Amino acid sequence: MLRCVPFILAGFTAPMQIETNPQSMLWLLPLTAAIAIVYKATKMTTITARGFAKEAVVLFCSMVVVVVLIALFFCGLAWLVT
Amino acid sequence: MLISKSNRPLLLMIVGLAGWLVPGGGYFLLGWRKQAAIVSVTIVGTFCLGLYIGSIGVIDPVGGKLWYVLQIMFSPVVAVLGYITAGGGFAVFGRPGEIGQIYTSIAGLLNLLCIVNAVYLTHLSATQALGD
Repeated sequence: MLRCVPFILAGFTAPMQIETNPQSMLWLLPLTAAIAIVYKATKMTTITARGFAKEAVVLFCSMVVVVVLIALFFCGLAWLVT
Repeated sequence: MLISKSNRPLLLMIVGLAGWLVPGGGYFLLGWRKQAAIVSVTIVGTFCLGLYIGSIGVIDPVGGKLWYVLQIMFSPVVAVLGYITAGGGFAVFGRPGEIGQIYTSIAGLLNLLCIVNAVYLTHLSATQALGD
């Protein structure tokens, strides 16, 4: 177990390999999940596992849908302009 | 905890400072243990993921001052990391650098949200306790 520690720490000193392609946009999903979870934790006074998970998933899906709609709008705008 | 009008600003400062020192610390002091655990794990995880993606070079107090202002909301640990990375000895470039900066900065902003919320909740409970 301790043998892994230097390798894990070394991972923090060099960037990951991420290409500039459409797939790299998927990195927004963990960030969106973090925002949804923290926001719901600040808003809910009583937290139950089921209720919290439901609220966080609904907010997460809403944010993703809005981001996709905005992306489609700009794709359409770029298609019209070019 | 004994609350009076004279020590209320001190109480608010302690809660805010606890939230800055350790993400979720403000909620922990208020007794909101579940919120503290959720916030702490999520914000620390987001920040560490950002560092892993872009390397600790994304904390750049010299070349990326605006990002650094957002990142330092996460914790004073960022100042220590900034001191280490100030020489520019860590590689950071391209898309991973951008994603790492965004993740670490959003982690800082999320912690700021939690600090403000914990301080506000403390203010509300102090107001109720004093009957203002």
